[in-house]
Amino acid sequence: MFSKFEEWYRDRHDYARAWKEKSSGKVFGCFCSYVPEEILVAANILPVRVLGSHEPQDVTEPHLFGMFCPFCRDVLAQGLKGRYEYLDGITLAQSCIHLRQAYRSWEQHVDQPFSYYLPHPMSVQSPAAVPYLREELENYKKAVEEFTGSKITNDDLDRGIRILNENREAMHELYKHRIGPEPKLSGKEAMWVTVSSTWIDKEEHTAEIRRVLKLIEEREMDRECGAKLMFVGSENDDIEFINMVESVGATVVVDDHCTGTRYFWNSTADDMNDRIEAIAKRYVERPACPSKDHPVRTRFPHILKLAKDFDVQGVILIQQKFCDPHEADMVPLRKYLEENDIPCLFLEFDVTVPLGPFRIRVEAFLEMVGEEDLF
Amino acid sequence: MITAGVDVGAKTVKIVVLRDREVVATAKDLSGFDQAKVASELLAQALEKANVTQGDLAGICSTGAGRKIVSEATHSVTEVSAGAKGSLFINPDVRTVIDVGAEEGRAIRCTEKGKVEDFAVNEKCAAGSGAFTESMARALEVDVAELGKLSLGSDASVPMNAQCAVFAESEVVSLLHAETPKQDISKAIHDAIASRITSMARRIGLNKEVLVIGGVALNVGFIRSLNEAIEMDVIVADDPEFVNALGAALIAAERAN
Amino acid sequence: MAKYKTEPLKCWAKAKELRDKYYQDYATAHERGGIRWTGGAWSFDAIPYGLGDDVYPITGEPYAASIAFNKEFSLKCMEATEAKGWARDLCSYMRNYWGSMYLNKYNFGGPYPKPTFAFQDHICCSHAKWYQVVAEHEDIPYFNIDVSVGPYHLIKDNPQKIKYIVDQMHESIEFLEKVTGREYNDDKLIEAVKTDMRSTSTWAKICELNKNVPAPLEEKSMYSFYVFGTLSKAKKEFADFYDELYDEVKDRVDRGIAAVANERCRLMSDTQPPWGFLKVFRYLEKYGAISVGSLYTFGLVGNWEVKKDGTWGARETYMEKGIEINTRDEALTALADWTLSRPEWQHFYDPGLKTEMMLRIAKEWKLTGVMLHLNRGCEGLSTGIMENRLGLVESGIPVMTFEGNMGDEREFDLGRTMTRIDSFMETLDLEPISAD
Repeated sequence: MFSKFEEWYRDRHDYARAWKEKSSGKVFGCFCSYVPEEILVAANILPVRVLGSHEPQDVTEPHLFGMFCPFCRDVLAQGLKGRYEYLDGITLAQSCIHLRQAYRSWEQHVDQPFSYYLPHPMSVQSPAAVPYLREELENYKKAVEEFTGSKITNDDLDRGIRILNENREAMHELYKHRIGPEPKLSGKEAMWVTVSSTWIDKEEHTAEIRRVLKLIEEREMDRECGAKLMFVGSENDDIEFINMVESVGATVVVDDHCTGTRYFWNSTADDMNDRIEAIAKRYVERPACPSKDHPVRTRFPHILKLAKDFDVQGVILIQQKFCDPHEADMVPLRKYLEENDIPCLFLEFDVTVPLGPFRIRVEAFLEMVGEEDLF
Repeated sequence: MITAGVDVGAKTVKIVVLRDREVVATAKDLSGFDQAKVASELLAQALEKANVTQGDLAGICSTGAGRKIVSEATHSVTEVSAGAKGSLFINPDVRTVIDVGAEEGRAIRCTEKGKVEDFAVNEKCAAGSGAFTESMARALEVDVAELGKLSLGSDASVPMNAQCAVFAESEVVSLLHAETPKQDISKAIHDAIASRITSMARRIGLNKEVLVIGGVALNVGFIRSLNEAIEMDVIVADDPEFVNALGAALIAAERAN
Repeated sequence: MAKYKTEPLKCWAKAKELRDKYYQDYATAHERGGIRWTGGAWSFDAIPYGLGDDVYPITGEPYAASIAFNKEFSLKCMEATEAKGWARDLCSYMRNYWGSMYLNKYNFGGPYPKPTFAFQDHICCSHAKWYQVVAEHEDIPYFNIDVSVGPYHLIKDNPQKIKYIVDQMHESIEFLEKVTGREYNDDKLIEAVKTDMRSTSTWAKICELNKNVPAPLEEKSMYSFYVFGTLSKAKKEFADFYDELYDEVKDRVDRGIAAVANERCRLMSDTQPPWGFLKVFRYLEKYGAISVGSLYTFGLVGNWEVKKDGTWGARETYMEKGIEINTRDEALTALADWTLSRPEWQHFYDPGLKTEMMLRIAKEWKLTGVMLHLNRGCEGLSTGIMENRLGLVESGIPVMTFEGNMGDEREFDLGRTMTRIDSFMETLDLEPISAD
C-alpha cells in the first residue's frame, strides 16, 4: 500500500531529475524545515529537503570541524559527492549553527546558480517576529522572482498556500489512522510518507495519500501492534532504526521531528489579504525547533498532547550527537514527560547507528513499558 | 659523516644509523616503561652493529612522542619534520606523507623543495591509529598480523560507524552476533580506519605521490582500503616504521654541516 | 642579547582591582538595595543601566572562564552539570556556569548570588537556551533579544532588520520595569549607550597599536584587559580604564617597548583559548614567536571600520561624528547599529566574512602564521573554522590547528599541543632561542 512512498524515499534523486525533465521547472534544495515552501511552489519550483544518506564518508573533514552534528556533515557530504547535482538553487532558513555551516560550505564548494540565506527569527515568541519575518520573506520572494524572471502574483501565492495546506491536511488525516488500538500503518510506512513529502511534488504526494486513505480503513495489518511509541528529536529519517524498533514488538505511532509532524502540523491561513504575512505567521507559530523555543518551552506541552492524543506507552528521545539545541531540551523534556507518566528511552544518533547495542536497549525499554501495563 | 636518528614512539623505539646518507644499522624494541633506558640501550646496540662508537657520531637527532627524554640527542625534531625528511629521501616525488603509528595518525604535505607546507594530525582519537586495529583484532579474536590478510578475502562493504572506537568495538560484536563472516568484518574495520585517515588527509589535500609510513603501513588490509578510499595507489615505504628515525638521522647530518 | 626592551605593564594592578570589584559588587548588590542581573557577554548591557546607578551584571562567559582557570572548582562544576544529565559536548562556559549555580558556590567566595533577572541576547544556538535553564532553576524572569538578523553589510540597507531588534529592545524595557518595579530612565540609557561606544572604540584603538613592530602587547596580556568589554561595555569605570590603558600602550609604542623581547615571528590565534593553559602562549616565546591578538580579542569587544586608506581602525563613535542621541528610540537604534557592526558578530552567518577579516589582520598586523584553536567548548566561535583554515591556507598563510576546549580541561592535551607548536615552528624554519 505504501510502496510508492517507499520508492520515492529510496529514489529521491531519480524522482527530482525526472520531475525537472517533465516540468521544465526548477528544483531548489531546502536546508531546514523553516524554508517557506509556499513561495517556491508559487514560483513553480520544486522544493526538496536536503538530507543525508546514512553512509560513512571521508569528504567533509576539511570543511566542518568534527564537533558539529553528524546530520550536517552527512548533508554536506551529499553535496560534495555530487548527489544533488540537479539543483538549480539552495536556500537555508536560519535555525541552528550546525546546518548553517553545511549550507555555507555547500554554497562555496558545490556549483549552483542560486543560493539564498534566509534570516529567520529565533525569538519566535516575540511580537516583533511576524512583522520581521514578513519583510525577510518579501526579500526572498523578490530574489526568487529575479532568478526565475517572473513575478509571483497573489494568485500564485494562493496556489502555493493551497497546495501546501492540502498536503498538510492529507497528512493529518493519515496520522489519524495511527491512533487507536490497531494503527493502520507502521511507523516505518509513516516515515516513508512524511519524509518523502519533503521532496516530492506536493500535489502528486497528496494524491497518493488520498489514494491510500480510500483503502486504509479496510487494511488488515499483518503484524502485531505491540507497544505504541513516540519518537522525539531532531531530524530523523533513519529507516533502518525504526525498522529495528518495530521488529522487536513495538509500533511507532507519532513523532516530533522536523522531518515529521513539526514539518506539516500547522497550516497557512488562506483568508488573509497579506499572503506573505500569512506565510510568516505560519512559520513563526509552527511547532518550534528547540533552537527557537525560548523563553517559554512551548514544545513540551505540545509533545505531551501528541503523546496523549496518540496514546503512546513510551517515548524514544533521539538525539543527534552534538546537536546543541536538542541537548539543551533533552534533560528538562525527559523530566517533564516522566513526571507525566510517560517513560523515556534516550539514544544518541550518529550518521549510522549501531543497531546491535541499540536493539538491546530498545528491548529492555519495551520490557519496562510492558511491565507497567500490568498494573 | 655518521649520524643517528632515534624515534621514541608510543609503542616502540626505532633507531637508524647513517654513514654518508647510507643506512648502516637499524634497531627496534618496545618502548616499555623506561623509554630513556630503552632508547640508550638500543642506541648502543645499533652503534655496535654499525661498528662505531658514540664518539664517531657527528650528531644524534631524536623524534617521536618521547623525543625529549633522549639524553644523548644533540637535536630534536617532531615527527612532522622527521617524517617529511625521511620520506623525501626515500622518494623525492612524494608530495603527501601519511604516517599511521600506534597512537596517532598524521598527514604531511611537502613541496618539491622538500619543505613541509601543511600538516594535519588525528586529534586524540583512537579510530585513526594502530591502537584501533589492535582493539578490533582483540574483539575479533584474531592476531593483529592476521587481521589485514583476512580482509583481503572480502569484497563486501559493511558500513561501520567510524566516528568512535568504542562504538566500533560494539559494532564488531554485533556483526559477530549477526554471523557476518570475519573477513567481511575485518574489511569493515580497515575501511573504517582508512576512512578516518583519508578524512584527515583531505584537510591538507592529497597529491601524488602518496607515501605511507609508520607501523600500520605494514597492514595489507589497511593499504587496500586506503587505496580505495583515496582513489589512487599509495606507495608503501620499505621498512615504514623506520622512516621517522631515518629522517631524524638525516636532519642530524644537515645540522652537523 | 635581547632584540627589544621589555617592561611590565603598569595597568596590571588596576585591572585586577577593577575585575575583583566587579564580582564583589555583583555579590553585594542586594545589601545596598541594588539590582543584580545575569546574562551573556554579548548582551546589550547598556539597557539595564536605565534602571539606575546601582545595577550590577554578571556575564556568563567571563565568569565561566574564571571558573575554568580554577581547575579544581571547574571539574566540580562540570561534574555537577553532568550529574543533572546534561551532555558533555555542550558549551563549556555554560556547563561551568550551571555547575556553579547547581552547587550554589560562587567562584569568588560564598554562595552563588541569585540574580534578579536574566537578560540575554541570541546569536549562537546556546545563547538563549543557557539562560532559559538558569531562569528555570533560579525561578527568575528572563528576557532574550534575538539579534541574528544577518551580517552588518546587509543590515545597513534593510532597516527592518534593525527595527526587529529595536522593537525587542523596547519590549525589554517594559519587561525590566515590570520585574524590578522601577521607573526607567532614558537619560541613563543614553549615557550608557555612549559609554559602550567609547569603551569598544577605545579597545579597538588599543589593539590597533599592536600593528607596530615590536608589538607592545601579547595576547595573553590582552585577555586580562579585553575582559572588561565582556563584563560590561557600558560601565563608565571600564571605559575610563581603557582610556588609561590606551595611553600606556601608546607610550610603550613611542618608546619601542616590546611585549616579547625576541619577537621575530608574529602570529594570531582564533577563538577563546583553553583558559586553564595560557602557558601555551608563553611557550611560543621560546621560539621568539608572539601572538599579537586574534579576531576574537580584537573584534568581540572592539568595534572597527575600514578607514579611508583601506585599513582597519576603530569605528568612529556617534559622539565623534557629532550624531546626537536624544530619545529612547534613538538610543536603542544607535545601540543596535553600533553593536551589530562588531567584527566577531559577522562570522556567524558566513565563514567567508571571517576569513576576509583574518586575512586583513594577517596583512595589517604583519603576521607570519595563524594558530587556530579548534575549540570543542564553543560551537559559536568554532563555526566555520575549517573553512577559515582552508581560506587562509589558500591565501598562502601557514596555519596550525590544535584541538581543545576553552573551559573543559579534560578535552585539552598540553603535551600534544606543545608538540604541535614545535612542528609548526619547524615548518616555519624557526629553532628554539631558549630552552624549555
